[in-house]
Amino acid sequence: MRRVLATLAVLFAAGTALAHGPTPQKIDQTITIRATPDAVWKVVGPFGGLGAWHPDVAKVEVTGGDGAGAVRKVTLKRGGTLVEGLDEWKGAERTYSYRLSDPDLDALPVSSYSATVTVTSDGEGAKVAWMGRFYRGDTGNEPPENLNDEAGKEAMNRYFAEGLKGLKAKLESGPQR
Amino acid sequence: MRVSRRLIGVVSLALAAGPAAAAGAVWVASQQGARATRIERPDGAPAASVPVAPSPAVVAAGPGGRLYLSHPDGKAVTVIAADGASRHWPVPGQPFGLAADPDGRFLYVGDWSGNRVLRLSAETGAVEGEVAVGRDPAGLTLGADGRLYVAEREGRSVGVIDTARMARIAGIPVGDGPFALAYDPVRDRVYVANVRSNDLSVIDAGALKPVATVPVGASPYSVAISPDGRRVVVTNQHAGTVSIVDAEALSVAATVPVGRYPEGVAILGGRAYVANWFSDDVSVIDLATLKEMGRIPVAEGPRTLVANQPALGEAGR
Repeated sequence: MRRVLATLAVLFAAGTALAHGPTPQKIDQTITIRATPDAVWKVVGPFGGLGAWHPDVAKVEVTGGDGAGAVRKVTLKRGGTLVEGLDEWKGAERTYSYRLSDPDLDALPVSSYSATVTVTSDGEGAKVAWMGRFYRGDTGNEPPENLNDEAGKEAMNRYFAEGLKGLKAKLESGPQR
Repeated sequence: MRVSRRLIGVVSLALAAGPAAAAGAVWVASQQGARATRIERPDGAPAASVPVAPSPAVVAAGPGGRLYLSHPDGKAVTVIAADGASRHWPVPGQPFGLAADPDGRFLYVGDWSGNRVLRLSAETGAVEGEVAVGRDPAGLTLGADGRLYVAEREGRSVGVIDTARMARIAGIPVGDGPFALAYDPVRDRVYVANVRSNDLSVIDAGALKPVATVPVGASPYSVAISPDGRRVVVTNQHAGTVSIVDAEALSVAATVPVGRYPEGVAILGGRAYVANWFSDDVSVIDLATLKEMGRIPVAEGPRTLVANQPALGEAGR
Protein backbone atom coordinates (compact mmCIF):
# COMPACT_ATOMS: atom_id res chain seq x y z
CA MET A 1 0.00 0.00 0.00
CA ARG A 2 2.76 2.33 1.00
CA ARG A 3 4.56 1.64 -2.28
CA VAL A 4 1.42 2.26 -4.33
CA LEU A 5 0.89 5.59 -2.59
CA ALA A 6 4.49 6.57 -3.14
CA THR A 7 4.20 5.70 -6.82
CA LEU A 8 1.02 7.70 -7.13
CA ALA A 9 2.68 10.66 -5.47
CA VAL A 10 5.52 10.52 -7.98
CA LEU A 11 3.07 10.28 -10.89
CA PHE A 12 1.13 13.26 -9.63
CA ALA A 13 4.28 15.26 -9.13
CA ALA A 14 5.50 14.45 -12.62
CA GLY A 15 2.24 15.67 -14.11
CA THR A 16 2.80 19.24 -13.04
CA ALA A 17 6.08 20.75 -14.07
CA LEU A 18 5.10 24.18 -12.74
CA ALA A 19 7.57 25.82 -10.43
CA HIS A 20 5.86 28.52 -8.43
CA GLY A 21 8.33 30.46 -6.38
CA PRO A 22 7.74 32.38 -3.23
CA THR A 23 8.28 35.95 -4.48
CA PRO A 24 5.99 37.28 -7.25
CA GLN A 25 6.52 40.37 -9.42
CA LYS A 26 4.11 42.88 -10.96
CA ILE A 27 3.61 43.87 -14.57
CA ASP A 28 1.36 46.84 -15.29
CA GLN A 29 1.12 48.32 -18.78
CA THR A 30 -1.49 50.60 -20.31
CA ILE A 31 -1.93 52.34 -23.63
CA THR A 32 -4.52 54.77 -24.97
CA ILE A 33 -5.97 54.20 -28.42
CA ARG A 34 -7.93 56.52 -30.70
CA ALA A 35 -10.86 54.15 -31.19
CA THR A 36 -14.03 53.33 -29.31
CA PRO A 37 -13.79 50.80 -26.49
CA ASP A 38 -16.07 48.49 -28.48
CA ALA A 39 -13.84 48.68 -31.54
CA VAL A 40 -10.79 47.92 -29.38
CA TRP A 41 -12.51 45.06 -27.60
CA LYS A 42 -13.52 43.54 -30.94
CA VAL A 43 -9.82 43.12 -31.71
CA VAL A 44 -8.29 42.44 -28.31
CA GLY A 45 -11.20 40.52 -26.73
CA PRO A 46 -11.17 37.20 -28.61
CA PHE A 47 -8.91 34.89 -26.57
CA GLY A 48 -7.65 33.15 -29.68
CA GLY A 49 -7.17 36.42 -31.60
CA LEU A 50 -3.81 37.38 -30.09
CA GLY A 51 -2.03 36.73 -33.38
CA ALA A 52 -4.09 39.44 -35.10
CA TRP A 53 -2.52 42.22 -33.04
CA HIS A 54 0.60 41.11 -31.13
CA PRO A 55 3.63 41.62 -33.37
CA ASP A 56 5.70 38.94 -31.54
CA VAL A 57 3.16 36.20 -32.19
CA ALA A 58 3.52 33.86 -35.16
CA LYS A 59 0.54 31.58 -34.56
CA VAL A 60 -2.26 30.90 -32.05
CA GLU A 61 -4.17 27.65 -31.76
CA VAL A 62 -7.20 27.93 -29.50
CA THR A 63 -9.62 25.36 -28.12
CA GLY A 64 -12.74 26.35 -26.21
CA GLY A 65 -13.32 29.79 -27.78
CA ASP A 66 -13.89 32.48 -25.15
CA GLY A 67 -15.26 30.23 -22.42
CA ALA A 68 -13.58 29.71 -19.06
CA GLY A 69 -11.25 26.75 -19.44
CA ALA A 70 -10.36 27.61 -23.04
CA VAL A 71 -6.70 27.04 -23.91
CA ARG A 72 -4.55 28.93 -26.39
CA LYS A 73 -1.17 27.77 -27.64
CA VAL A 74 0.83 30.83 -28.63
CA THR A 75 3.86 30.31 -30.86
CA LEU A 76 6.27 33.24 -30.84
CA LYS A 77 8.17 34.45 -33.91
CA ARG A 78 11.48 34.29 -32.08
CA GLY A 79 10.74 30.74 -30.94
CA GLY A 80 9.04 29.18 -27.97
CA THR A 81 5.43 28.35 -27.15
CA LEU A 82 3.17 29.65 -24.39
CA VAL A 83 0.21 27.51 -23.36
CA GLU A 84 -2.32 29.73 -21.59
CA GLY A 85 -5.67 28.90 -19.97
CA LEU A 86 -8.64 31.28 -19.83
CA ASP A 87 -9.99 31.83 -16.31
CA GLU A 88 -12.67 34.39 -16.96
CA TRP A 89 -14.00 36.27 -19.99
CA LYS A 90 -16.51 39.08 -19.47
CA GLY A 91 -17.56 40.69 -22.74
CA ALA A 92 -19.92 43.17 -21.10
CA GLU A 93 -17.06 44.47 -18.96
CA ARG A 94 -14.53 44.11 -21.78
CA THR A 95 -12.06 42.11 -19.71
CA TYR A 96 -10.54 38.65 -19.62
CA SER A 97 -8.10 36.88 -17.29
CA TYR A 98 -5.82 34.00 -18.11
CA ARG A 99 -2.82 32.19 -16.73
CA LEU A 100 0.19 30.30 -18.01
CA SER A 101 -0.37 26.55 -18.05
CA ASP A 102 3.05 25.32 -19.14
CA PRO A 103 6.18 27.45 -18.86
CA ASP A 104 8.64 27.66 -21.74
CA LEU A 105 11.81 29.48 -20.76
CA ASP A 106 12.70 29.92 -24.45
CA ALA A 107 9.53 31.96 -24.93
CA LEU A 108 9.63 33.99 -21.71
CA PRO A 109 12.09 33.54 -18.81
CA VAL A 110 9.35 33.08 -16.19
CA SER A 111 7.99 30.01 -14.46
CA SER A 112 4.37 31.10 -14.16
CA TYR A 113 2.10 34.08 -14.55
CA SER A 114 -1.48 35.22 -14.57
CA ALA A 115 -2.71 38.32 -16.35
CA THR A 116 -5.77 40.40 -17.17
CA VAL A 117 -6.60 42.52 -20.22
CA THR A 118 -9.20 45.26 -19.72
CA VAL A 119 -10.56 47.90 -22.10
CA THR A 120 -12.16 51.04 -20.67
CA SER A 121 -13.22 54.35 -22.18
CA ASP A 122 -10.75 57.21 -22.01
CA GLY A 123 -12.12 60.55 -23.19
CA GLU A 124 -13.15 59.97 -26.78
CA GLY A 125 -10.89 56.96 -27.10
CA ALA A 126 -10.09 53.81 -25.20
CA LYS A 127 -7.55 52.71 -22.63
CA VAL A 128 -6.21 49.18 -22.60
CA ALA A 129 -4.68 47.86 -19.38
CA TRP A 130 -2.65 44.67 -19.44
CA MET A 131 -1.54 43.74 -15.96
CA GLY A 132 -0.27 40.60 -14.34
CA ARG A 133 1.79 38.78 -11.77
CA PHE A 134 4.66 36.41 -12.48
CA TYR A 135 7.48 34.40 -10.91
CA ARG A 136 11.06 34.44 -12.20
CA GLY A 137 12.30 31.60 -14.42
CA ASP A 138 14.43 30.02 -11.70
CA THR A 139 12.56 30.24 -8.44
CA GLY A 140 15.51 29.01 -6.37
CA ASN A 141 17.57 31.30 -4.19
CA GLU A 142 20.50 31.71 -6.59
CA PRO A 143 18.91 32.17 -10.02
CA PRO A 144 21.26 32.67 -12.99
CA GLU A 145 21.15 36.17 -14.48
CA ASN A 146 18.97 35.14 -17.39
CA LEU A 147 16.32 33.68 -15.08
CA ASN A 148 16.22 36.17 -12.20
CA ASP A 149 13.57 38.74 -11.26
CA GLU A 150 15.16 41.44 -13.41
CA ALA A 151 15.28 39.21 -16.49
CA GLY A 152 11.64 38.26 -15.94
CA LYS A 153 10.56 41.89 -15.49
CA GLU A 154 12.38 42.99 -18.61
CA ALA A 155 10.97 40.21 -20.76
CA MET A 156 7.40 40.48 -19.48
CA ASN A 157 7.33 44.27 -19.73
CA ARG A 158 8.73 44.10 -23.22
CA TYR A 159 6.22 41.45 -24.30
CA PHE A 160 3.26 43.42 -22.90
CA ALA A 161 4.51 46.76 -24.26
CA GLU A 162 5.16 45.37 -27.74
CA GLY A 163 1.71 43.82 -27.76
CA LEU A 164 -0.03 47.04 -26.76
CA LYS A 165 1.96 49.02 -29.32
CA GLY A 166 0.96 46.53 -31.99
CA LEU A 167 -2.68 46.75 -30.94
CA LYS A 168 -2.60 50.54 -31.10
CA ALA A 169 -0.91 50.53 -34.51
CA LYS A 170 -3.45 48.10 -35.91
CA LEU A 171 -6.46 50.06 -34.63
CA GLU A 172 -5.20 53.53 -35.47
CA SER A 173 -3.98 52.67 -38.96
CA GLY A 174 -7.35 51.37 -40.15
CA PRO A 175 -9.37 53.09 -42.87
CA GLN A 176 -11.80 54.71 -40.42
CA ARG A 177 -10.40 56.54 -37.47
CA MET B 1 -18.12 51.08 -3.96
CA ARG B 2 -17.72 54.27 -1.99
CA VAL B 3 -14.65 54.13 0.13
CA SER B 4 -15.22 55.24 3.68
CA ARG B 5 -13.44 58.47 4.40
CA ARG B 6 -12.73 57.38 7.92
CA LEU B 7 -10.81 54.39 6.63
CA ILE B 8 -8.87 56.43 4.13
CA GLY B 9 -7.96 58.71 6.99
CA VAL B 10 -5.82 56.00 8.48
CA VAL B 11 -2.29 57.33 8.44
CA SER B 12 0.81 55.24 8.12
CA LEU B 13 3.04 56.54 10.84
CA ALA B 14 6.62 55.41 10.87
CA LEU B 15 6.52 54.72 14.57
CA ALA B 16 8.95 52.41 16.22
CA ALA B 17 5.97 50.94 18.01
CA GLY B 18 6.09 47.19 18.40
CA PRO B 19 3.32 44.65 18.44
CA ALA B 20 2.67 45.30 22.13
CA ALA B 21 0.98 48.54 21.19
CA ALA B 22 -1.01 46.63 18.65
CA ALA B 23 -3.09 44.30 20.76
CA GLY B 24 -6.28 43.49 18.96
CA ALA B 25 -4.89 44.64 15.63
CA VAL B 26 -4.14 43.21 12.24
CA TRP B 27 -0.60 43.22 10.88
CA VAL B 28 0.15 43.10 7.18
CA ALA B 29 3.44 42.21 5.47
CA SER B 30 4.22 44.31 2.37
CA GLN B 31 6.59 42.59 -0.04
CA GLN B 32 7.96 45.44 -2.17
CA GLY B 33 7.42 48.00 0.58
CA ALA B 34 9.43 45.82 3.01
CA ARG B 35 7.27 46.82 5.96
CA ALA B 36 5.03 45.32 8.58
CA THR B 37 2.04 47.61 8.97
CA ARG B 38 -0.41 47.59 11.86
CA ILE B 39 -4.06 48.20 11.12
CA GLU B 40 -6.32 49.04 14.02
CA ARG B 41 -9.92 48.04 13.81
CA PRO B 42 -11.46 50.36 11.24
CA ASP B 43 -12.41 53.11 13.66
CA GLY B 44 -10.11 55.79 12.35
CA ALA B 45 -7.25 55.00 14.69
CA PRO B 46 -3.79 55.48 13.20
CA ALA B 47 -1.67 52.54 12.15
CA ALA B 48 2.01 51.99 12.70
CA SER B 49 4.52 50.67 10.23
CA VAL B 50 7.84 48.95 10.94
CA PRO B 51 10.59 48.59 8.30
CA VAL B 52 11.84 45.02 7.81
CA ALA B 53 14.31 43.26 5.49
CA PRO B 54 13.42 43.09 1.76
CA SER B 55 10.57 40.99 0.37
CA PRO B 56 8.75 39.62 3.41
CA ALA B 57 6.26 36.93 2.36
CA VAL B 58 4.39 35.48 5.35
CA VAL B 59 3.62 37.13 8.68
CA ALA B 60 2.66 34.99 11.69
CA ALA B 61 1.85 35.81 15.29
CA GLY B 62 3.37 34.17 18.33
CA PRO B 63 2.22 34.45 21.92
CA GLY B 64 2.79 37.67 23.80
CA GLY B 65 2.26 39.86 20.77
CA ARG B 66 5.34 38.64 18.97
CA LEU B 67 5.46 38.69 15.16
CA TYR B 68 7.45 36.63 12.68
CA LEU B 69 8.02 37.43 9.01
CA SER B 70 9.62 35.10 6.47
CA HIS B 71 12.03 36.27 3.76
CA PRO B 72 12.31 33.44 1.19
CA ASP B 73 14.80 35.26 -1.04
CA GLY B 74 16.77 36.58 1.91
CA LYS B 75 17.04 33.23 3.73
CA ALA B 76 15.86 34.80 6.96
CA VAL B 77 13.08 35.34 9.45
CA THR B 78 12.43 38.70 11.10
CA VAL B 79 11.20 38.59 14.68
CA ILE B 80 9.48 41.64 16.14
CA ALA B 81 9.15 41.39 19.89
CA ALA B 82 6.38 42.88 21.98
CA ASP B 83 8.60 45.84 22.88
CA GLY B 84 9.21 46.60 19.20
CA ALA B 85 12.77 45.26 19.14
CA SER B 86 13.40 43.39 15.94
CA ARG B 87 15.83 40.57 15.27
CA HIS B 88 16.97 38.97 12.03
CA TRP B 89 17.47 35.20 12.08
CA PRO B 90 19.33 33.55 9.22
CA VAL B 91 17.39 30.43 8.18
CA PRO B 92 18.68 27.82 5.71
CA GLY B 93 16.83 27.22 2.45
CA GLN B 94 13.88 29.27 1.25
CA PRO B 95 11.80 30.06 4.35
CA PHE B 96 8.15 30.74 3.43
CA GLY B 97 5.31 29.30 5.55
CA LEU B 98 5.35 30.00 9.28
CA ALA B 99 3.51 28.69 12.33
CA ALA B 100 4.31 29.67 15.90
CA ASP B 101 3.41 27.26 18.66
CA PRO B 102 1.13 28.87 21.27
CA ASP B 103 3.49 27.93 24.12
CA GLY B 104 6.11 30.23 22.68
CA ARG B 105 8.78 27.54 22.44
CA PHE B 106 8.99 26.87 18.73
CA LEU B 107 8.58 28.43 15.33
CA TYR B 108 7.89 26.09 12.41
CA VAL B 109 9.26 27.25 9.07
CA GLY B 110 8.57 25.70 5.67
CA ASP B 111 11.58 25.54 3.34
CA TRP B 112 9.90 25.99 -0.06
CA SER B 113 12.60 24.58 -2.32
CA GLY B 114 14.06 22.22 0.29
CA ASN B 115 10.78 20.31 0.73
CA ARG B 116 11.08 20.24 4.50
CA VAL B 117 9.77 21.93 7.61
CA LEU B 118 12.25 23.23 10.15
CA ARG B 119 11.65 23.66 13.85
CA LEU B 120 13.38 26.72 15.26
CA SER B 121 13.86 27.67 18.87
CA ALA B 122 11.62 30.68 19.43
CA GLU B 123 14.26 31.85 21.89
CA THR B 124 17.35 31.82 19.68
CA GLY B 125 16.22 31.02 16.13
CA ALA B 126 18.48 27.97 16.09
CA VAL B 127 17.27 25.04 13.95
CA GLU B 128 16.44 22.26 16.37
CA GLY B 129 14.77 19.78 14.09
CA GLU B 130 13.45 19.13 10.62
CA VAL B 131 11.11 16.83 8.76
CA ALA B 132 10.82 16.04 5.05
CA VAL B 133 7.47 16.95 3.49
CA GLY B 134 5.88 16.95 0.01
CA ARG B 135 7.07 19.21 -2.77
CA ASP B 136 6.87 22.99 -2.39
CA PRO B 137 5.54 23.39 1.16
CA ALA B 138 3.46 26.60 1.14
CA GLY B 139 1.10 27.35 4.04
CA LEU B 140 1.52 25.90 7.54
CA THR B 141 -1.02 25.75 10.34
CA LEU B 142 -1.09 24.17 13.78
CA GLY B 143 -4.07 22.08 14.84
CA ALA B 144 -4.96 20.14 17.98
CA ASP B 145 -2.66 17.62 19.66
CA GLY B 146 0.55 19.18 18.43
CA ARG B 147 -0.24 18.51 14.81
CA LEU B 148 1.12 20.73 12.09
CA TYR B 149 -0.59 20.77 8.68
CA VAL B 150 1.45 21.60 5.60
CA ALA B 151 0.03 22.60 2.19
CA GLU B 152 2.24 20.61 -0.18
CA ARG B 153 1.66 22.61 -3.32
CA GLU B 154 3.17 20.30 -5.91
CA GLY B 155 2.26 17.17 -3.97
CA ARG B 156 -1.49 17.89 -4.21
CA SER B 157 -1.59 16.90 -0.58
CA VAL B 158 -1.65 18.17 2.97
CA GLY B 159 1.16 16.73 5.05
CA VAL B 160 0.39 16.07 8.70
CA ILE B 161 3.33 16.43 11.09
CA ASP B 162 3.38 15.11 14.63
CA THR B 163 5.48 17.91 16.07
CA ALA B 164 6.41 15.93 19.20
CA ARG B 165 8.35 13.49 17.02
CA MET B 166 8.85 15.78 14.01
CA ALA B 167 7.46 12.95 11.87
CA ARG B 168 5.13 13.19 8.87
CA ILE B 169 2.36 10.83 9.90
CA ALA B 170 -0.01 11.27 6.96
CA GLY B 171 -0.47 12.82 3.55
CA ILE B 172 -4.05 13.74 2.75
CA PRO B 173 -4.98 14.06 -0.94
CA VAL B 174 -6.58 17.42 -1.75
CA GLY B 175 -7.14 19.50 -4.92
CA ASP B 176 -4.57 20.78 -7.38
CA GLY B 177 -2.06 23.28 -6.01
CA PRO B 178 -2.87 23.42 -2.28
CA PHE B 179 -1.38 26.72 -1.19
CA ALA B 180 -2.95 27.93 2.03
CA LEU B 181 -4.77 26.30 4.91
CA ALA B 182 -6.37 27.05 8.24
CA TYR B 183 -7.50 24.95 11.19
CA ASP B 184 -10.94 25.31 12.76
CA PRO B 185 -11.05 24.04 16.37
CA VAL B 186 -14.86 24.32 16.47
CA ARG B 187 -15.47 21.60 13.88
CA ASP B 188 -11.97 20.08 14.05
CA ARG B 189 -11.47 20.73 10.36
CA VAL B 190 -8.70 21.93 8.11
CA TYR B 191 -9.73 24.07 5.14
CA VAL B 192 -7.33 24.08 2.19
CA ALA B 193 -7.25 26.56 -0.71
CA ASN B 194 -6.27 24.81 -3.96
CA VAL B 195 -4.86 27.48 -6.23
CA ARG B 196 -5.03 25.55 -9.49
CA SER B 197 -8.29 23.61 -9.11
CA ASN B 198 -10.11 26.74 -7.84
CA ASP B 199 -11.68 25.01 -4.87
CA LEU B 200 -11.52 24.53 -1.13
CA SER B 201 -10.82 21.08 0.33
CA VAL B 202 -12.36 20.33 3.71
CA ILE B 203 -10.47 17.85 5.89
CA ASP B 204 -11.82 16.08 8.96
CA ALA B 205 -8.81 16.52 11.24
CA GLY B 206 -9.88 13.66 13.53
CA ALA B 207 -10.14 11.13 10.73
CA LEU B 208 -7.40 12.79 8.64
CA LYS B 209 -9.62 12.44 5.59
CA PRO B 210 -11.03 14.85 3.03
CA VAL B 211 -14.79 15.19 3.53
CA ALA B 212 -15.84 17.83 0.99
CA THR B 213 -14.73 20.08 -1.83
CA VAL B 214 -16.28 23.53 -2.23
CA PRO B 215 -15.82 25.33 -5.57
CA VAL B 216 -14.71 28.97 -5.08
CA GLY B 217 -13.21 31.58 -7.47
CA ALA B 218 -10.06 31.66 -9.60
CA SER B 219 -6.80 31.00 -7.72
CA PRO B 220 -7.90 30.66 -4.08
CA TYR B 221 -4.88 31.87 -2.16
CA SER B 222 -5.61 32.25 1.53
CA VAL B 223 -8.10 31.02 4.13
CA ALA B 224 -9.35 32.44 7.43
CA ILE B 225 -12.06 31.12 9.73
CA SER B 226 -14.30 33.17 11.99
CA PRO B 227 -13.76 32.34 15.68
CA ASP B 228 -17.22 30.74 15.91
CA GLY B 229 -16.35 28.48 12.97
CA ARG B 230 -19.38 29.59 10.93
CA ARG B 231 -17.65 31.44 8.14
CA VAL B 232 -14.66 30.46 6.06
CA VAL B 233 -13.24 33.35 4.07
CA VAL B 234 -11.20 32.56 0.95
CA THR B 235 -9.40 35.07 -1.25
CA ASN B 236 -9.66 34.42 -4.99
CA GLN B 237 -6.42 35.98 -6.09
CA HIS B 238 -6.96 35.92 -9.82
CA ALA B 239 -10.67 36.82 -9.71
CA GLY B 240 -10.22 39.85 -7.44
CA THR B 241 -12.91 38.56 -5.11
CA VAL B 242 -13.40 36.90 -1.73
CA SER B 243 -15.64 33.84 -1.28
CA ILE B 244 -17.41 33.62 2.06
CA VAL B 245 -18.25 29.99 2.70
CA ASP B 246 -20.92 28.82 5.13
CA ALA B 247 -19.19 26.09 7.14
CA GLU B 248 -22.46 24.31 7.96
CA ALA B 249 -23.85 24.19 4.42
CA LEU B 250 -20.38 23.98 2.84
CA SER B 251 -21.45 26.33 0.10
CA VAL B 252 -20.54 29.88 -0.89
CA ALA B 253 -22.79 32.38 0.94
CA ALA B 254 -21.39 35.44 -0.83
CA THR B 255 -18.75 36.51 -3.31
CA VAL B 256 -17.41 39.97 -2.51
CA PRO B 257 -15.35 42.01 -5.01
CA VAL B 258 -12.15 43.45 -3.47
CA GLY B 259 -8.92 44.95 -4.87
CA ARG B 260 -6.59 43.47 -7.44
CA TYR B 261 -4.78 40.22 -6.66
CA PRO B 262 -6.13 39.68 -3.14
CA GLU B 263 -3.77 37.35 -1.27
CA GLY B 264 -3.76 37.07 2.52
CA VAL B 265 -6.85 37.25 4.73
CA ALA B 266 -7.30 37.53 8.49
CA ILE B 267 -10.37 37.90 10.68
CA LEU B 268 -10.68 40.15 13.72
CA GLY B 269 -13.76 41.51 15.46
CA GLY B 270 -16.32 40.31 12.93
CA ARG B 271 -14.40 41.69 10.01
CA ALA B 272 -12.23 40.12 7.36
CA TYR B 273 -9.11 42.01 6.29
CA VAL B 274 -7.83 41.22 2.80
CA ALA B 275 -4.37 42.11 1.46
CA ASN B 276 -4.74 43.35 -2.13
CA TRP B 277 -1.22 42.64 -3.41
CA PHE B 278 -1.48 44.54 -6.68
CA SER B 279 -3.51 47.53 -5.52
CA ASP B 280 -1.46 48.15 -2.37
CA ASP B 281 -4.36 48.28 0.06
CA VAL B 282 -6.34 46.21 2.52
CA SER B 283 -10.07 45.59 2.01
CA VAL B 284 -12.22 45.45 5.13
CA ILE B 285 -15.27 43.19 4.86
CA ASP B 286 -18.11 43.16 7.37
CA LEU B 287 -18.91 39.49 8.03
CA ALA B 288 -22.44 40.33 9.18
CA THR B 289 -23.52 42.19 6.04
CA LEU B 290 -21.02 40.37 3.77
CA LYS B 291 -20.07 43.71 2.19
CA GLU B 292 -16.79 45.53 1.69
CA MET B 293 -16.69 48.51 4.06
CA GLY B 294 -13.64 50.23 2.60
CA ARG B 295 -9.96 49.96 1.81
CA ILE B 296 -6.92 51.00 3.81
CA PRO B 297 -3.80 51.99 1.84
CA VAL B 298 -0.60 50.22 2.96
CA ALA B 299 3.01 49.89 1.74
CA GLU B 300 3.48 48.32 -1.71
CA GLY B 301 2.70 44.66 -2.22
CA PRO B 302 0.69 43.53 0.84
CA ARG B 303 0.87 39.73 0.77
CA THR B 304 -0.19 38.27 4.08
CA LEU B 305 -1.97 39.35 7.25
CA VAL B 306 -2.28 38.12 10.77
CA ALA B 307 -4.75 39.01 13.50
CA ASN B 308 -2.99 39.71 16.76
CA GLN B 309 -5.51 39.02 19.50
CA PRO B 310 -5.72 41.47 22.41
CA ALA B 311 -3.19 40.80 25.12
CA LEU B 312 -4.37 40.11 28.67
CA GLY B 313 -5.89 43.16 30.27
CA GLU B 314 -6.34 44.92 26.94
CA ALA B 315 -9.36 43.02 25.68
CA GLY B 316 -11.79 45.67 26.84
CA ARG B 317 -9.82 48.51 25.37
